[in-house]
This record gives sequence, structure tokens and C-alpha cells, in this order.
Amino acid sequence: MEAIMKKEDIIEQLATGQMSRRQFNKNLMALGATMVMMPLGSHMTQAASTDHPTVFTWEGWEIPELHKAYIDKHGSSPNIAIFADEEEAFAKMRAGFKVDLTQPCTYKVPIWYDAGIILPIDTSRLSNWPDIITSLKTIPGTVINGQQYFVPTDWGQTSVVYRADLAPEYVNNETWGILWDPKYRGRLAMADSLIDGVMVAAIYIGAKNPFNMTDDEVAKTRAALKEQLPLLRFYWGSSSEMEQAVAAGEVVAATSWNDGYTKLKSEGIDVKYMNPKEGAMTWVCGFCLMKDHDPAKLDKIYDYLDAYMSVESGVYEIVEYGYGHGNAKAFEAVSPDKLKALGFSTNAEEMLASGIFQAPIENEPALQAMFEEVKAGL
Amino acid sequence: MKSESLRGYSLLSPTLLAMVLGLAMPLVVLITLSFWIQDYLDFIRTFSLKNYTDFFQKPIYIKILFKSIRMSGLVTIATVLLAYPMAYFIAFRVKHNKLVWLILITVPFWTSYLLRVFAWKIMLGYNGVINSGLLSLGILSEPLEFLLYNPTSVVITLAHAWAAFAILPIYVSLEKIDRSLLEASRDLGENVFMTFMRVTLPLSLPGVIAASLLVFIPTVGDYVTPALVGGPRGIMIGNIIQSMFGKALNWPLGAAISVMSMITVTLMVCLFIWGTHNFRKRVA
Repeated sequence: MEAIMKKEDIIEQLATGQMSRRQFNKNLMALGATMVMMPLGSHMTQAASTDHPTVFTWEGWEIPELHKAYIDKHGSSPNIAIFADEEEAFAKMRAGFKVDLTQPCTYKVPIWYDAGIILPIDTSRLSNWPDIITSLKTIPGTVINGQQYFVPTDWGQTSVVYRADLAPEYVNNETWGILWDPKYRGRLAMADSLIDGVMVAAIYIGAKNPFNMTDDEVAKTRAALKEQLPLLRFYWGSSSEMEQAVAAGEVVAATSWNDGYTKLKSEGIDVKYMNPKEGAMTWVCGFCLMKDHDPAKLDKIYDYLDAYMSVESGVYEIVEYGYGHGNAKAFEAVSPDKLKALGFSTNAEEMLASGIFQAPIENEPALQAMFEEVKAGL
Repeated sequence: MKSESLRGYSLLSPTLLAMVLGLAMPLVVLITLSFWIQDYLDFIRTFSLKNYTDFFQKPIYIKILFKSIRMSGLVTIATVLLAYPMAYFIAFRVKHNKLVWLILITVPFWTSYLLRVFAWKIMLGYNGVINSGLLSLGILSEPLEFLLYNPTSVVITLAHAWAAFAILPIYVSLEKIDRSLLEASRDLGENVFMTFMRVTLPLSLPGVIAASLLVFIPTVGDYVTPALVGGPRGIMIGNIIQSMFGKALNWPLGAAISVMSMITVTLMVCLFIWGTHNFRKRVA
């Protein structure tokens, strides 16, 4: 994380020409030192805390500010492992990586249940459970046989972040179509993902249900992806890579989550977050208790969950990342003006109902194979 | 006799054990896996050639495999051509402190591989060193976009990242050349160029072959570099295999692709060794 920040600084200073050669060398050395030290640091924390549970999550949701109550009670953060997307997480766990808690999004819960890797969560052990937004508690696929397999903690959108100064014609004409605009050839980016990438193409071609497409719609999606390939700078794997490119003007428009927009905006870059006329995608992520968890750490696992669900964590997530939080009271703790500035004009229920809700994808392996073929130029 | 060979094996045993556990066993697992079939979340554990027929019937795998071989071939040529003069300089021109020179050459390789890839991102990037340098000199008015995120940037990055593996074997074979042979060649009337072609180059070929193999074999399967600097069109066979074991969740097919690329690389290497062998015979 630190090394990435450092790199961002270097690139930014290079861009504005503020850096002397000497300074550049110094920064490069610092970057090198941080990078070399990083694996050592993470290795040591892992070795040092065998009594803490391991939490497997997305980059950005592991920070101490989002589980402060846990640190207050147990002295330090739990062990953290990061995944780039749930498919990677799933593959690692299948290969024998044992974790206690994971933080997937709702569309993955049914598959993980089928794979027999998750267990029901005892919500009576969570003091913040009554404050969780009611509609989030019963998202299809997350409650199975009357048991809660998922604790909703985070929600937001997948949409397009774009440079309003570089593509002003889209300010009053917000559409996913910007990602297919030949005018910005080589300056567009899309997530290297089925749910946040291929599904965007499905929405763009007007698939009736992007998450369960007909053969004809799949063929059209493939054609759209093929058409888009030469226009792309890259498919982004890590959001910080995409954010740096948008900040530099290297990329004009890219698919992004709310936090990418919030970060770029706070850096003073003239970006906008689209409300595309075809509809933005909305999602809810949260925690699953893994079957492989260590029963001796169960108290700490519930403490971590409760800390993440607290109002305090919620306020931080809303204000700093621009994401929604599962705790309804967190929204009451943020001033209405601030909420409005962040784009929370309506309440959670309305906002979630307005977009295209990310659901489990039918025929996922075939779509992934199709995506690989497009990337291979076929 | 018997006890002697037994002693030999027992001396070897730690290495042998490590090789069997770390190399032979995973290979057996991989080959077994490649004959199974993925069914949603489970494997069908009966013998099947389906993954191999898929490999040959769908155009993507062979296409990407040959693209990877072509790219690694370019990387190997670039690396060896760049490494040879450096090794030559140290072997023949440096008189004192050769070790210091060798250590200096390996200094960039003390950092992590990933950092070297990132360093190239900073060099080639849109606001990177090359672009901002040319912009500030007034040579460019817009940053060059073709420097990064394409197959060429993968070749550049790999050629640098593997340079040390080429310089060292070439240096060793040059260093071993008996200097009196060079003198003899000159005394008998050959010029500098012909001396190089007929004496130095053939005698250093073992180093060149070792360097080529050391660079070619691992780069065919590399997936980190294409993922970081390759852009939408720079993917290689390693990325496909990674995807099969990750996102696409088809381990048996991933295993079959791995086996096929191992076989292909082995064939390429045999061809290469056979070719250089003939070349040496002809020159000599």
C-alpha cells in the first residue's frame, strides 16, 4: 500500500515536472527500499500473530480504520490477505489456503455455498446486527434454509469514472458508450473481470438480463468486446493502476467503483462518476464465515465482524471511500451536506433499487473462456 | 562395487529427495490432472483426452503458445545480443578487479523481479522517464503511447530482467578461451573479425547456448510481466494457464495446456541444440 502511494507521488511529480533528478533518484531508492521490505514486513506480522484470525478481503477494506474496535480490544489487527477478485480468492482457498473470514459480494455467495466452503453466521452474537439496513439482510441467495450465510457491510456502484475536462461532451450525456468511443482510442480502460467488465459489455449491447444471457446476446457481447479491444489502453487488475492512469490523463474513461472516483476527486482532478442512461451496476459485499475457520478463534472472528459493522467504521467508509455501509446509523452520523456531496442523494433502498443489481452469472466458465479468446484476438 | 554405488546414492539422497518431492511429484500430479475433467466445482476422475482435444481444436491455445514462443525467442535474441558485448568486455578488456565488474552487473538483480518490472513501467509509462524527458526537451508535444502496454514492452522488460542470466554463462565461456589460440589466429594472417568468427565465437558457443536456454525456457511461461506491462494484446500462455487455475476454474485444462507447452518448449530446445551443434561443426 505504502509503496503504491509512493509510486503515485513519483508519477504525479514527474507529470507536473516538479521533480529534480536528485529527488527522482532519492524517491526511486525509497520506492525500492519499501518494496524490498514489504514481503518481510507482512511475513513477520503473520508469524507473530498465530492467535488472530485471518481475514481474506479486497484491497482497501483491510485498513485499521475499518476495524478499530477490534484493535482496541485485541491489541492489533487480525492477519490480512488480499485478493484482486473473488475468483482468485476461491482458487486460492480451493488450493488449500485456510482463512477464517472472507469478504465476497452477494453474487458469489450461492456458488460458495454449493462448494461447501461457508457456514451460517450466528447474528445474535453481533451487537450491530439490528442496525443493519433491513433490505440488505435478505438479498436473494444469502439466506439459505432460513440461515444467514452473509453479513452485508459494504455497498456501492460499478460505473464509469471519466475526465470531464478531456471528454466534456459526455457530461450531459452519460452512457457506458464512452468505453466504445473511437475518439478515445487507446485511452480507455475496463476492469479485467466478468462481473465488472464483461457484464458492462452485456449492458452496452442491451442484454435483457446481463447475468443470464441468451446465446444471441452472448454473441453480441463478444462482438462488442472485440470492437472495444483496440480502443483499450489496458484491462485493469488493480484499481490503483487505473486511478493513476486517469489522474495522469493517460486514460480518459474507465470502469470504476465509488472509491476510485472519491480518491481522484479529492486529489483535485476534474473527474465525474457516471449515472449512465443504461443504468449503473450496484452491488453489496460483506462477510462469510469459512468452513475452515479455527473454532478457537471464533470469539475474535465475531469481534472483527462487529467492529467492521460499527457506526464508527461506517462513517469512515462513507466519508473516505464514498461507499455505502451496511449500518443504517452510520448515515445518520454523517451530515446531510456531506452525504449529498458524495452522491448519496437518496436513501440506501432507493439507490440499490435504481441500478442493475449484480447477480450470480449463469454459465460463468463459458463466458470467461469467451473473454480469454477475445483478449487473444480471436 | 555395490556398497560404493549405495554410498553414492546416500550422498545424493538429500538432493534426490528434494528433486522427487519438489519436481517429480508435482509433475506427476499435473499430468494426472490433465487427464481428468472439470465438472462445475468438482473433477471427474476418469481417464479422458478431452482437454487435449480441446487444446488442438480450439484455436486460442496453439495461437497463444506460438505467440509466447515468438516473444520469448525475440527476448532471447535481444538478451544474448546485448549480453555478449558486456561479457566480452569483462573477459578481454578488463584487466583488474573483474569481480567488481561482475558484481556491478548483477546489482540490478539484487532487487525483486517485480520491482524491475515496475521500474520499466516508470521508464516507459505515459508520464514516465522517457516521455517526460522528451517532452521537457521539446522533442515531443504529446507523450508517446506506444511505449507501454503492448507486446514490445513485454520484450523490452523481459530482455532486461533476464540479462544477468545471459551475461554470466557467456562470460565464463569467454574467460575459458585459451588466449594463445587468438594470437595464433592473428599470426597466421586472419584479421580481427575472422578471428572472432572462427575462434572466439565457436569457442564461446557453449556459453551462448546456456544463456539462450536460461532465458528462453522460463520466459515462455512468464505471466507476471505480460500482466503488468502487456496491455490488452500482450497476453502469453502463462496468463491463460493462470486464468485456468483461477478465474476460469478449469484446472484439468490448465494442466493440459501446461503439459503441452512443456512438450513444445522441450522440442524447441532440442531443435535449437541440434541447430547450434550443426553450426559449430560447419564453422570448425
